[in-house]
Amino acid sequence: MKSSLNRTLLGCLMVLALTAYGQNAKGKYATFALTNATIETVTNGTIQNGTLVISAGKIEAIGSNVTIPSDAETIDCSGYTIYPGLIEGGARLGLTEVNSDARTRDFNEIGQVIPQIQALTAVNPNSVLIPVTRVSGVTTSLAVPSGGLFSGTAALINLYGYTPDQMYAGFKGIVLNYPRSGKRGRWDRQDDEEINRAYKKAIKNLNDIWTKVAEYHKLDSAIKASGSRKNLDYYPEMEALLPVYRGEMTLLLEVNASKDIKSAIEWVKGKDLRVVFTGVSEGWRAAEELAEANIPVITGPVLSRPTRAYDRYDRPYANPGLMHKAGVKVAIRNNGAENVRNLPYDAGFAATYGMGKKEALEAITINTAEILGVEKELGSLEAGKVANLFVADGDIFETKTQVKHVFISGWQIPMESRHTKLYDEFLDRNPGIKK
Amino acid sequence: MKEPRPCRCQLFLLTYAMLLTFSSAAQDIDLRSVSSTYAIKDATIVQSPGKVINDGIVLLEDGVIKAVGKSVTIPAHAQIIEADSMYVYAGFINGLSHAGLPKPKEKTFDRGKIKDPANPPNELAGIQPEQMASNLLKPADESVSSLRKLGFTAAHSVPHGRMLPGKGTLILLHGSTADEMVLINETSMFSQLSGAPRRLYPNTVIGVMAKYRELYRQASQSKDYQIRYKSNASGMTKPEQSFVEEAFYPVLEKRIPVVFKAQSVLDIQRVLTLQSDLGFNLVLGEVKQGWDVIDKLKGSDAKVFLTLDFPKINEEKPDSVTIEEPKTKTDFELEKEHLEKRKQEMIEKHFLQASAFKEKGIIFGFSTLEVKPGDIKKNLNALLDFGMDESDVLAALTTHPAELLGVSNIMGTIDVGKMANLIISDRPYFQKESNLRYVFVNGNIHEYEAKPDKKKEKDTDKN
Amino acid sequence: MKKHVLLIFLSLFILTIKAQEKGSVLIQKGTVLTITNGVQENADVLIKDGKIQKIGQGLKAPSGTKVIDARGMYVMPGIIDAHSHIALDAINEATSPVTAEVCTGDAVNPLNISIYRALAGGVTASHAMHGSANAVGGQCETIKHRYGTVDPEELKMKGAPRTIKFALGENPTRVHGSGNGILPRTRMGVEEVFRRSFSKAQEYTAAWDAYNSKRNQKGFQGMAPKYDLRLQTLADILKGEIIIHCHSYRADEIYMLMQVCKDFGIKKLVFQHVNEGFKVAPELAEFGAMASVFADWWAYKFEVYYSTAYNATILTKNGVVTSINSDSGELIRHLYHEAAKTQKYGGLSDDKALELITINPAKQLGIDDRVGSLEVGKEGDVAIFKNHPLSIYAIPMYTIVDGVVEFDRENDPADMRIYPDIDEKIDVTIAVADSEYDRCMQDTEFLFEN
Repeated sequence: MKSSLNRTLLGCLMVLALTAYGQNAKGKYATFALTNATIETVTNGTIQNGTLVISAGKIEAIGSNVTIPSDAETIDCSGYTIYPGLIEGGARLGLTEVNSDARTRDFNEIGQVIPQIQALTAVNPNSVLIPVTRVSGVTTSLAVPSGGLFSGTAALINLYGYTPDQMYAGFKGIVLNYPRSGKRGRWDRQDDEEINRAYKKAIKNLNDIWTKVAEYHKLDSAIKASGSRKNLDYYPEMEALLPVYRGEMTLLLEVNASKDIKSAIEWVKGKDLRVVFTGVSEGWRAAEELAEANIPVITGPVLSRPTRAYDRYDRPYANPGLMHKAGVKVAIRNNGAENVRNLPYDAGFAATYGMGKKEALEAITINTAEILGVEKELGSLEAGKVANLFVADGDIFETKTQVKHVFISGWQIPMESRHTKLYDEFLDRNPGIKK
Repeated sequence: MKEPRPCRCQLFLLTYAMLLTFSSAAQDIDLRSVSSTYAIKDATIVQSPGKVINDGIVLLEDGVIKAVGKSVTIPAHAQIIEADSMYVYAGFINGLSHAGLPKPKEKTFDRGKIKDPANPPNELAGIQPEQMASNLLKPADESVSSLRKLGFTAAHSVPHGRMLPGKGTLILLHGSTADEMVLINETSMFSQLSGAPRRLYPNTVIGVMAKYRELYRQASQSKDYQIRYKSNASGMTKPEQSFVEEAFYPVLEKRIPVVFKAQSVLDIQRVLTLQSDLGFNLVLGEVKQGWDVIDKLKGSDAKVFLTLDFPKINEEKPDSVTIEEPKTKTDFELEKEHLEKRKQEMIEKHFLQASAFKEKGIIFGFSTLEVKPGDIKKNLNALLDFGMDESDVLAALTTHPAELLGVSNIMGTIDVGKMANLIISDRPYFQKESNLRYVFVNGNIHEYEAKPDKKKEKDTDKN
Repeated sequence: MKKHVLLIFLSLFILTIKAQEKGSVLIQKGTVLTITNGVQENADVLIKDGKIQKIGQGLKAPSGTKVIDARGMYVMPGIIDAHSHIALDAINEATSPVTAEVCTGDAVNPLNISIYRALAGGVTASHAMHGSANAVGGQCETIKHRYGTVDPEELKMKGAPRTIKFALGENPTRVHGSGNGILPRTRMGVEEVFRRSFSKAQEYTAAWDAYNSKRNQKGFQGMAPKYDLRLQTLADILKGEIIIHCHSYRADEIYMLMQVCKDFGIKKLVFQHVNEGFKVAPELAEFGAMASVFADWWAYKFEVYYSTAYNATILTKNGVVTSINSDSGELIRHLYHEAAKTQKYGGLSDDKALELITINPAKQLGIDDRVGSLEVGKEGDVAIFKNHPLSIYAIPMYTIVDGVVEFDRENDPADMRIYPDIDEKIDVTIAVADSEYDRCMQDTEFLFEN
């Protein structure tokens, strides 16, 4: 009797201890009614004084005339705006912790052609970086491996969950770093000839690989058609590239310089792929070509320096807008890790420098969802979609705007992170100057 | 049991003897001239830039110009050079070069053995101002004959290295020993803004400039003490011996200038900053981008040697006069045109630099630290193409460097009493097809065959 | 030949290089954010010969003065960046743990396009710092963004106090301890470097004082102490002639340097980055040390893992003079946006947030009597924005330095290079958008190649 009481006490103490020293408070899963809000649906305009009901992880109802379920926890959102969760279109978030420390970097595996390796398996659900990101309204992020030619398989994750599978948000795509014709940076010491040779070799490698994939596809199709029981030998690279070749899986083709963009457009032509160009920092120099080829882009970071010394200073800010105006479907990414929370500012600068507010908001919500093929679940506030959304006290692009509530997959997220906790502890440090 | 076999030593000697035989067979027979008096007859004599004597005679005797003019009595013991239709110029003077000083192999060093990278041995740090170019001279080095073949008879020559490679010397481009070549043993303290190799102090330009200031001031301090010590050492602590510091003394006493290699517009100004901080007499060499800082240079009283190293000029540039098809150009085409134009203009500024200096009244010579001898004549001609006067180019090769190096009394013109340094060309020198036929250095004749194909031309070096 | 003659004519029209100048300009009817004297609506600012002559309504300017119609715009003092490495050809002399003798002023590069890009973000002055490879780094240069000259001297803000870079933590220990196998390898070693350096400087000063007191005595035969530029510079710090700007992250090391400075009587101390400054904010305030921080950078290395974007707010609320800096050719383009982040993280007022990029960095550089606010008599450095500068929709429209309009968005030619690169291949991108964490460590890459 005594011992069981002790055990209960001990259990209580442990829970207390965990609450005190655990990483974050728990999320809450329930039926919520967000009332009296301005609702930026993105796809169906703005609803004034509306209500949004979250239930079983989904947006159950949305509108100005919504019946609030009796079991709903009501959150008064007067003066506030509800936005769909922002979607980061390509980052290392979840794959790195402290960037300078190789032991915490999991985004760059060894190998030139490793499309089969999975970013999703390396996502650390407990990364300190994740809460810091989501309390700013970014609810979903594409975890992208990098390096080599085919770097691996990227995965879209929701920024709440305790296992990668809980976080998985329904999109995977294979990353291709399209060969670069120019120097890789100011530090690149190769001379023109070396660069040219390396470039030609890289293009040849890429084409050789593609020829192999075509062959693999042919044999695989023939085997399937014949009903033969013989399988092709274990070849994970080809296995991974096969759905890309068949247009069943998205190819995330990273390309930046205008010359390379144009070359990549040619490369893609006639291949019948599901392809997205990512990076595209000089997209404005090839905007018409991109539009004509009907290739969507995920571009960014917008807050970056011009790629050439003679470029107008604001080109990176204007780039998404210039591509949009040319008719390209544009999504915006932040491309970072610990500061993916700044995604609304990348979009905000794009909005300011020619893209327009509505288009810039779409570029971090519905466009990203559509480009990644998850628009049925994410990217806007519509009944039936996953409840990834947040409540802010103003325009989410404005720097000073505070995010008040965040919901991911219907979970109400604790509005805390390492940054807020350190603020709470140290704003009025105790003891202060005296011991 | 001893078996007779040639010992290694013998074998070596045998090989050596064979080598000697072969090599001497390939060599020119080195007999001295019959007379040290020469008369150059019926030549067009460009005495100095702009001053020409037609059908004149130059008389050389024992290395000195004895007479110049239309009516000169030719003594019987003079060797006659029939220079009918040829052109005689004063020998060119190279303002700053590595003539006779081949680049030494980069010293490799074991990083692990350097205990304190912040304080490496002077040799590795590139601080060797005590080195004398005259001690390092290699008279047989190709750089000497190849410059001479272009018409240079004298050169200010400095060692290779980094921050402080050593002292420069003024040499004649003739001779088989340093003693024969050196005209002025210590002409300058050569300096560069180049840092020590990886990991060693001073590595960057900020390190080099700080170290330069420190060394200069330390030298200045030690010199004062040395003077007191030398006048009466009794009771005084013996000063530390520092060859580096002592090497600065002639600079501190303004007996020789600091010659700084400074190519870019920024390096030029960095050197001017050092000069204004420390107050030495300055000669800037290998100046490549000086056109925007001419006034600043003027204010510093620095002497200047402009580089003959020019960027490649893009000859495929579309002629700006051609009429364009009336079509609207895209923004990118317009941008590309603009960029090409700016790049082209920038390249051209390098060629226009000399004219700009001339216009501002700065006298200058040329330097060749960074230019291949094979490009020098082509580049001189390019200056003319870009509108520079022939006489100004000639002055920059003769009278001006003579003045800047303080040897106007013996070099730079074809005047009586000057050293017998002159060159004879079969056509006006600056005509592209011209061939040098004779070069006299200190009265020593070097004869060249006129060959239309320059590549096959050989320095026969008869003297 | 003929072709070239034509080219010579063309070349006469190429961009003329500006000499340092002071301009006059009248900025009319803007919302004037003076920083030190509140906001004045519908007010004019008159700059004459480089100095602010009047602020008020309905000002008249001598005819011929350039007039800017700032109706609907915001007029604020030129932004000042207390930590940057733009316009420098060399950043780290990383070969010694102590390099007090070097000066970034020797490496100033007025041709650097980053200067213009900073102007296009409203930044008129910056602190061109030595890197953080050494515990005692080099002296830094405060520059004004007078773009268009080839003369480094014209960029230098003459009369600005001398400053020097110090560095704590991972960078100096990595470069020297791990890289070269010499002290410091730990934070203990970094402290040792400071104490040893300052002690030697005290000895040096004492030796010179002794020498100077005796040298004029009759029959004096002694030798002067050997001139040492490094010790001389350290001695100047002890004399209070140089402001220390110290790269720092962790609270313990920040605290350590304050203790060292107290022991050696050093008062002029600004911490740079100072990511954990919030943990010792009361101590910083008590010492009178200032802090120049990132708005939200963190986690790029271990010593910034325990950071918070609320740092600037906590420091400010504890009374520490705080600024937001860039340390980057990218962030320097939008410091107004970086400052606005303090409104997200801690809700600073507009005034407080703007102080972080104007008068506060000016105080940290010791130039607050000349720039950092719009006051009569101060230098005519102004940034004019469409929309409030703390708004995401802010667009810098004009940037004025010494009364000269250096940036005008409506008349902005794309290609602003002063010296085009003659080796460049047109239509080949050299650098793709690169992040530049730790530009502070430029020129030290060689240490980590193996």
